[in-house]
Amino acid sequence: MIFFARIISLINTLTNSFGKLVLAPVESLPGWLSNTIISAIAGVLLLIVFKYTSNQQAIGKIRDDIKANMLALKLFKDSISVTLLAEVRVFKGAFLLLLYSIVPMLVMIIPVSLLIAQMSLWYQLRPLRQGETAVVTAKLNGNIEENWPTINIEPTSAIEVTVGPVRIFSKREICWEIKALENGKHNITFDIAQDKIEKELAIGDSYMRVSAIRPALNWVDILMHPAEKPFGSDSVVQSVSIDYPERRSKTSGTDWWLIYFFIASMVFAFLSKPFLKVRI
Amino acid sequence: MTAASLAAGSRVGPAIATSKNRRPANRVIIIGIDGMDPRLSEKLMNAGQMPNLAGLRQAGGYRVLGTSIPPQSPVAWANFINGAGPGSHGIFDFIHRDPAEQAAPFFAVAKTIAGNGYWKTGKHKMQLNFPPFGHKPPETVLLRQGTPFWDYLDKAGIDSTFYDLPSNYPPSHSKYGRHKCLAGMGTPDLLGTYGTYQHFSEDGPVRTKDEDGGKRSMLFFENETAAAKLVGPQNNFLIEPEPSVIPFLVHRDIAANSCAVEIQKHKILLRQGQWSRWIKLDFEMSLPGPIPNKHLTAICRFYLQEVSPNFRLYASPLNSDPSNSALRITEPPEFIGEISDRLGLFYTTGFQEDHKALSNNVFNEDEFCVQAGMVLQERLKLLEYAFENYDDGLLFFYFSSTDLQSHMLWWDSELKHPTRSAEDAKECFRHIHKLYTELDSVVGDILKRYGDKATIIVMSDHGFANFKRQFNLNTWLRENGYLYPPNSTGIFKEIDWSRTQAYGLGINGLYLNLKGRERDGIVDPGEQREQLLDEISTKLEGVRDTNGRPVIAKAHRTDKVYTGPATALAPDLVIGYRRDYRASWATCLGDITDEILLDNDSAWSADHCADVSEVPGVIFSNRPIDAASPALIDIAPSVLKKFGIEIPPSMQGKDIFTA
Repeated sequence: MIFFARIISLINTLTNSFGKLVLAPVESLPGWLSNTIISAIAGVLLLIVFKYTSNQQAIGKIRDDIKANMLALKLFKDSISVTLLAEVRVFKGAFLLLLYSIVPMLVMIIPVSLLIAQMSLWYQLRPLRQGETAVVTAKLNGNIEENWPTINIEPTSAIEVTVGPVRIFSKREICWEIKALENGKHNITFDIAQDKIEKELAIGDSYMRVSAIRPALNWVDILMHPAEKPFGSDSVVQSVSIDYPERRSKTSGTDWWLIYFFIASMVFAFLSKPFLKVRI
Repeated sequence: MTAASLAAGSRVGPAIATSKNRRPANRVIIIGIDGMDPRLSEKLMNAGQMPNLAGLRQAGGYRVLGTSIPPQSPVAWANFINGAGPGSHGIFDFIHRDPAEQAAPFFAVAKTIAGNGYWKTGKHKMQLNFPPFGHKPPETVLLRQGTPFWDYLDKAGIDSTFYDLPSNYPPSHSKYGRHKCLAGMGTPDLLGTYGTYQHFSEDGPVRTKDEDGGKRSMLFFENETAAAKLVGPQNNFLIEPEPSVIPFLVHRDIAANSCAVEIQKHKILLRQGQWSRWIKLDFEMSLPGPIPNKHLTAICRFYLQEVSPNFRLYASPLNSDPSNSALRITEPPEFIGEISDRLGLFYTTGFQEDHKALSNNVFNEDEFCVQAGMVLQERLKLLEYAFENYDDGLLFFYFSSTDLQSHMLWWDSELKHPTRSAEDAKECFRHIHKLYTELDSVVGDILKRYGDKATIIVMSDHGFANFKRQFNLNTWLRENGYLYPPNSTGIFKEIDWSRTQAYGLGINGLYLNLKGRERDGIVDPGEQREQLLDEISTKLEGVRDTNGRPVIAKAHRTDKVYTGPATALAPDLVIGYRRDYRASWATCLGDITDEILLDNDSAWSADHCADVSEVPGVIFSNRPIDAASPALIDIAPSVLKKFGIEIPPSMQGKDIFTA
């Protein structure tokens, strides 16, 4: 699993560079517009991928079969035997279409997951606003009986620690409440004995890449939180999280952005289907 | 276009379309400062501590303002609203009784009418309020009767906006869409009460214990983590309703003198003595089978009182979330959302200062002052919002601070305070002085902002007096042979209605057990009633305390002091107490104590439910007040006159500016 996690971490390095570059305009566009543009491009690209990874000839034949059987249902609705047979063939056709879409789905699942992970950095949460507070939590490795390391946040002009450190013994967590002071992309530096660790912090009013968690060396966490390098398995700290506020928008806000993305990309894919001559 | 819409258009549309163009801006701003007392105001004005209000007084814009009979806030504000006395609005006390149910008490201003019919499935019941079922859901209705004065403004196409208006929950409907209102005093929390805090501590009761205005629970820490439950609104979709709860965890760090509270998706860090921001909480009500569960959003603030040795955590009453209100607390309903879009989350219950927490020793005086200060700061932000959104017409803004803080902190006597040392009592009263001074500067800002561009009225519904001694009316009635049996301990416990001639309920009300009106009435409505009322009034006015001081200034016969169509539920006598006296705590809900007169032992050490002559309010204006003795009922007619509207015959007041 650690090997798998390292592979995803490596892929994240590449997708982060790609995401930062390609999704950079999100910062300066209204959320609904940027999500619509991304959805449109993704819809068309996925359609093209589908075209070249699926058996278009077979899909076309099944589609024609389904059409023929639908026609039979209309024409011979008085004949029970014909109707039943046509219905069975329609269902069979639908099932075969599903089978033929497995290969393109498998091809697309990884890039789509990586794209969604990159998009979530922009839309799922919003940066802290100046004056706003948030809780930073460092989850430590080890069990609750072990000694507690001394961890402090280094003073910086970007934030002020308003409460903490507060230890949650039962969960082996250390928490701070911080107050955002200065707009921009910052790093919070934690002093741990002789060591230092960092966590990204976003403060501002516009769209920014917001990394809520610097993850542990766990492949699911790394996939879901791709922005920052995961902690090593021997690190004192397992993960560091910041509870950023949710973004309120039905097109580009928390959770809704994903629904909007799926619907909009499907709409654009369907609209471009006749031009790209793709059968799905 | 239909004839109806043409007709409506001819009345409303043109008035709306042209009113702003036709009229020059006409502005009236009323600042309601609940409980602002004339004695203290005059003292502070004379001492130069209220310079802005003193300036208005200097210019002829100050009078002592006559209050209502009795001087209780719901009654007084309803007088203000109708421009007429209780006979017009039908509110006579905080508590009324249903004569058909023989003294069954209910809250006077609003009533929840139970629903009718439901569909049962498993452990759930559901009301299907559509054909063919036609079940009727429960409904909360405003019991205030008569026409509120803003209806006349509404009809004339004049905008009016009220913030935190008492005696108007649920807010009345605006027929012409020119009236907006955020309901104030009387608005419940999500438990349906006037504010129920929840307190968690290591020395709390093992099973959650209800107390007046709160709930207490025990916290048990294991590995410095304790699990607790926040009790939410009742799930009435269950055949046997039970409250919805939100489990949460409290983690303490004694060395850091702090704690972390994990509740739903929130993690809150608190130092000892720190308040959290408002937290949104989602209470889930289970519904049958595949029907999605219902969700109610509440807002709550936590306050970490102590980490060690006795961990104590306070959770505020669960207020309705203004950004997604489960209760209809504004007119129009979307108004609350508009305010919240700008201001975020804030107290929405009617009683915002948590006086119950102080009365029950959950708060000390300092903690209460901090919490009340936060309420005032929120209200000042709301006031700023009100001005940002005010163009012309009527703007009303209400401050509760002077009332609820005075109840708890007022003491203007050298006599011993019920719960505090002399020095502490003085210190608390100094806090009230500061509050008056702070509100004076708020008035100063308004005068600076609007100057002569608006008629500005600053008014209070009543004044204040110490509450040192409590009088049990029912004990007095029992001792004087009007209430039986002689060993009765309360009108809902042991009472012989076949011999009882009179009983007390609410703070100031005395009711005869009248034949034909009360279910078990025995007093004849004719001569016997007359004779009995005169006899009881005379005797009550003669009651003396152990030191010889008179206790009651006047027992008002309501058939003589109330006029209007809404007197059906009026008590027969309203007992007007002298300063320092009030009805006992037990009297309010019909209980009987051994003694007739006893010391008040509550932190609630000042009150205004005295005689109308003892606790008048104040009125200030930047326009000279001509009336020599204005009263609350005169404000509405004066406002209508300012907007060029004739005073309707239903109003009993007069214009104070052209007396």
